[in-house]
Amino acid sequence: MQIEMSRRKFLQGTVAMSVVGGTTISATNLFASNDTHDKKLTITTKTGVAKEVKNIATLCEMCVNKCAAIARVEDGVVTKLDPNPMFPKSKNMLCPRGNAGIQALYDPDRLKYPLIRVGEKGEGKFKRVSWEEAYEAILNGTDKFPGVAKILDEEQDNRSTFLFCAGEGMAEHTFKTFFSAFGSANWLNHSSICLQTVASAYGVTLGAYPQADLDNAEYIIMAGANRAEAIVTPDTMDAFKRTKGRGAKLICIDPRFTNTAAKADKWLAINPGTDLAFVLALTYVVLTEELYDKVYVGENFNGFEEYKKSVIDNQYTPEWAEKITGIQAEDIYQIARDFMAHAPKAVYYPGRRSTFSNNDFQLRRAMAIFQGLGGGIDTKGGLIFGKRLELGVHEGLEPIYARAEARAVDSSKSQKGHSGYADCAVVTDGGSWIGWRNRFLEDRMPYKVRGMFCYKHNPMMNMPNTKKTAQMLKKMELVVAIDTMPSDTVMYADVVLPECTYLERTDPVNTFSGVEPAIAQRNKVIAPMFETKPVIDIMRGLTEKISKPLFEISKKHDEDLQDELANLGEEEIVGEDGNVTKTAATMTKEEREAEVYAEFDLTKPFKHSQEEINAHMVESVYGKEAVEALNKNGVFYPNMDKFYKALSVNEYQYYPEKEKSYSVNGGKPKTPSQKVECNLANLEKKGVDPMPIWKDEYAFSVPGGKFKLLTGRHAQFTQSGTANNIVLRDLMHENYIWINKRVAKERGIAFGDKVEVSSKTGSVTIKAYPTEKIAPNQVFFIHGFGEESEALTWAYKNGGNDNAVIEDIIEPVYGAASMHETNVEIRKV
Amino acid sequence: MARYGMALDYKNCINCKACEVACKEENGILMGADKHRIWVGVKEIEGEYPFLSIVSSSFEPSQCQHCDDAPCQEVCPTNATYYDENGVVRVNADKCILCSYCMNACPYDARYVDDRTMTVDKCNFCSDTRLARGETTTACQNTCPTKVRTFGDLDDPNSEISELLRTREHFSLKSHLGTKPKLFYLT
Repeated sequence: MQIEMSRRKFLQGTVAMSVVGGTTISATNLFASNDTHDKKLTITTKTGVAKEVKNIATLCEMCVNKCAAIARVEDGVVTKLDPNPMFPKSKNMLCPRGNAGIQALYDPDRLKYPLIRVGEKGEGKFKRVSWEEAYEAILNGTDKFPGVAKILDEEQDNRSTFLFCAGEGMAEHTFKTFFSAFGSANWLNHSSICLQTVASAYGVTLGAYPQADLDNAEYIIMAGANRAEAIVTPDTMDAFKRTKGRGAKLICIDPRFTNTAAKADKWLAINPGTDLAFVLALTYVVLTEELYDKVYVGENFNGFEEYKKSVIDNQYTPEWAEKITGIQAEDIYQIARDFMAHAPKAVYYPGRRSTFSNNDFQLRRAMAIFQGLGGGIDTKGGLIFGKRLELGVHEGLEPIYARAEARAVDSSKSQKGHSGYADCAVVTDGGSWIGWRNRFLEDRMPYKVRGMFCYKHNPMMNMPNTKKTAQMLKKMELVVAIDTMPSDTVMYADVVLPECTYLERTDPVNTFSGVEPAIAQRNKVIAPMFETKPVIDIMRGLTEKISKPLFEISKKHDEDLQDELANLGEEEIVGEDGNVTKTAATMTKEEREAEVYAEFDLTKPFKHSQEEINAHMVESVYGKEAVEALNKNGVFYPNMDKFYKALSVNEYQYYPEKEKSYSVNGGKPKTPSQKVECNLANLEKKGVDPMPIWKDEYAFSVPGGKFKLLTGRHAQFTQSGTANNIVLRDLMHENYIWINKRVAKERGIAFGDKVEVSSKTGSVTIKAYPTEKIAPNQVFFIHGFGEESEALTWAYKNGGNDNAVIEDIIEPVYGAASMHETNVEIRKV
Repeated sequence: MARYGMALDYKNCINCKACEVACKEENGILMGADKHRIWVGVKEIEGEYPFLSIVSSSFEPSQCQHCDDAPCQEVCPTNATYYDENGVVRVNADKCILCSYCMNACPYDARYVDDRTMTVDKCNFCSDTRLARGETTTACQNTCPTKVRTFGDLDDPNSEISELLRTREHFSLKSHLGTKPKLFYLT
């Protein structure tokens, strides 16, 4: 039965599930919130009733895209965020989250003052203190926790006894400057729970993690990427204006029927974790039917013959792949032929998502090589590297601490003949978060790590196995958290430093490479509210407090430093007669100490304001006008005044066609050899397959009665960062678990019923959404819900936290978290 | 004096709901699932996994159709619903008595109750916000990632919307009812 659901019926409480109209589709959002949040009816503000209006160009921070926005400020209140059309990356748009940024600014639950823990760790009991008291507590501790000075003294100035971790963002750089100056080797960020494997695999295969020219591609394979929901600018805008027979054919490969599938010309359901078999079969067709660009391959490939032999000898036929992937062989033949017919204006879309399966690195290698077979590299309509506008330099500080140990990596060989680390083959700057955490919990560290600084990062929500993360945070003797919101991680902190939101600060100016490169700057819209500060001010205040006392600790333990200080400028002179005489010291002890301290002065990188630093970085390369343009418009690129113009009410020109940077490397990969690297012998030494091959252990399987748990992104939420946003919550009240309709019926589960989802790791309770958009042996829910922090009015226990259920399975090459390797049980509660 | 209308390149819509949030923020609309001037209609997909019909799953962005013959205006006993000088169907909050005849009359389900003003509210093409201060786009058009909407003067032959309607095939919703909507869906 089809029911047209109107608002009148909605109000009468007869909300049914399936909602369809005859010629129209009703005003219905199944997942929307219908509570009016008590009496607080007015959350949003109608624009245009103010005396004083200012429009300030800024950049959004509701997700990682950094789209350009214009904030409308009426009598000091931000009433609207509009797209800033001047930025070629985000063109002329703001997504729902960008629009809801106002609610991040005016969220009543924001961290407003510095806090010190007074209750038990994780209990969430804090007292409000001044900034000075907070800095004092970080340096010298309280009766509840030790300070940095005590820990560092006891560890004899091993700076690596502190872990630094940060979420992605424009000010991450400022925090990382503090990390470098502090001298620890332990840095962890989002990469190993994000795009480490895809970025690295494209890096070693094509020399860079490329962008895709979806504005000109004629054929796009989007596999395991969901651009209609996981919005990336400009890809999302470019792609969906041209699908459905309007210039670009879009093939969507996904285990779920996503919004991207709905906008695609063809959707093929694939068994989770088997994309590698699909790409290998495409490659097999292209090699055996000789469809590849022979000239391009001849000139730009290394190891092609070995790879060709491997693919053909292993018989990676479409018929073979059909059994593994669930995609019919004839579809695979067709896609391989169509892709190559359109190449080089064909894109196997690289995507930018977290690691789903243990073979992800090899999958990305196979995708990059397949792309190369059509020659669609560094060229219009293919993958592109883009041009980068260089910026001036802001000097950091990197003192040498003799006592600082190297990164806490366990390099003991995990198995005979395996030359990697215990939990992965390659360790990069981003490190392996879950590997690090688990080693720390299991006392497998080469030395003691006792404290951590955590900036805009929520490990409690962002990585698999929440229980273990809680244990880690409890075990850390000193946790300093810098954040805007009282997240689950902040609840475990000893000292909480409240950062202002992105609308209250100017961030480091940034350059955005691409076909249409630009420089963009996030400008402060209003002054920081409450007692919050931008991270650069926090770093300035903190380093002014701790820099000298920490230098004293180095003096006490660091013999190299002691020697350096003892050298007062005297020189030994060997005379002709062989006698040694000493010249007089050229400086006093105090002068020498001041000179040496200058190398260790942590306050140095934070002396100037962000505005001053940005002006310097821009003016030194592009002149004063560029600085003024960035302050006024938020965006600058050379010749913008000539190139930038409106083409219609919706569209703008940023560069004329002949000025666009489709090709910056002569159509070649950016590897040192300038060739696509098919066969990487050095990987073999580390126990990694030198060429992408399929292994039986990669096959998809789910034990009877269980489900494979899938997770993913959503257009209206960005991980846990937006979970408390009331306007976004109005669009989708909480996350729902997708379960196949027929399976749900068998188990008596209806829409909105609560189900318990459990794995070896843990369990959550979440409402059900029975749908045919998912396979009978899989379930899915979006990431970022189900926070446990009671300080979050709307996010608290709202929906389910995927990471409480996902097992901490470590991908073998980079130690990334494999997110789609967990089987769960479902029970109606 | 203009005759405002809107063309929707609805195939571009990815159901991200940026338009819904922009509308709420621009016009100070209430929270709540039934409180909205604008929406994206979604059809639940037909078929059984993995044999699903892509065409059965469509996203239909919509809002008040600003009918030239608006049933809601016709039934309003107090003339609270009226046409302004630009052909926009508006509501006078002072005159509305919340009889809800308009809600029942509207074939597009475009009207809802604003509990603050006790008015049956609706989309007004941002007439008292953006247009009032000289902007030429509505909030929903301006923010859209895939640029579904083009707003403009139907009486101006040089406007972009007039050009679009001259050059692209289009249809109206429930055209058989004779309401003469000024929202046009481009095919």
